[in-house]
Amino acid sequence: MEEKWSYLVDEYRAMLYRIAFSNMKNRADAEDAVQEAFLRYMKDGKPIQNKEHEKAWLIRTTIHICLDILKSGWYQKTVPWNESFENTAKSVYLPYQVKDDETLDAVLQLPVHYRNPIYLFYYEDYAIREIAEILSEKEGTIKTRLRRGREEVKKILTERRP
Amino acid sequence: MGIQEVQGNGNAQAYQKKRKAGRGEGFQESLLQNLKNRDQENQTITDTETKKKAENIGVGRIGMTPGIRVNAVAAQEALQAVEVRHMSYEDSDHIKIAVTEGYTLKGKREDGEEARVYVEAKYDDGRLEAYQVEIDRISETTEQEIERFALETMKEA
Repeated sequence: MEEKWSYLVDEYRAMLYRIAFSNMKNRADAEDAVQEAFLRYMKDGKPIQNKEHEKAWLIRTTIHICLDILKSGWYQKTVPWNESFENTAKSVYLPYQVKDDETLDAVLQLPVHYRNPIYLFYYEDYAIREIAEILSEKEGTIKTRLRRGREEVKKILTERRP
Repeated sequence: MGIQEVQGNGNAQAYQKKRKAGRGEGFQESLLQNLKNRDQENQTITDTETKKKAENIGVGRIGMTPGIRVNAVAAQEALQAVEVRHMSYEDSDHIKIAVTEGYTLKGKREDGEEARVYVEAKYDDGRLEAYQVEIDRISETTEQEIERFALETMKEA
């Protein structure tokens, strides 16, 4: 692999995997989605203005690939063989310690339009402006989704607790 | 100094009573009472300003929650609003992700002899605030969120 691509993979692989996993909720599909995103970037060959745009492009593409896979007829008719063995929150492999796995589990269960903004905001530490750019939405929309998504997380946690 | 200046204040009634009770000889007492009333009025204004300042430096959302922060002046001494550095999770000594409360906190122990912690707070309404916390000025048993987080950061660092 060219040095340029090797650098790109090293730089973003872990972060893209976590984002893909938050959507796919299983390791194999998350890895496939990340590989596909890198392949599209390499094949595309278009120069990207700067590192921030490069990162945003890769995140956006990874999320789109995940959503495409999830929507596909094949995916909806199958169940990943190892899904039951994976503890979702622990399989995200965040680069820092999260004390509250229960909340992360609840976030991973949110509908996709809440899950991605919440995951990017809290667990990948993106600003609202950046999330709006990544998800091609308005900042106001992201704020609303963060607020409503937070309420949904509370509901999930309340339902789980006795 | 007219009667209008103290009207609207809770102490105005006392002042008016004094005015009625005294004529010429009561003037000095009345004046003293009026001065007292004015002092109390000024004190009320100062308290309000202090509270506003505390809210401005970011004690507002987390720190001023009823039952958590009582003494806003103490908060001002221990917490100082500083410029946001946009510190990453990787560069932080300690982080707190509070999804259900709508904020994240990042903390880093500052270099130097004094025990200071830099705390960055990001809220889901888009606000970004930063504080410098003087560890020696806060109680080990503090219930104020930023202070407690700063203490945790010191232990983690």
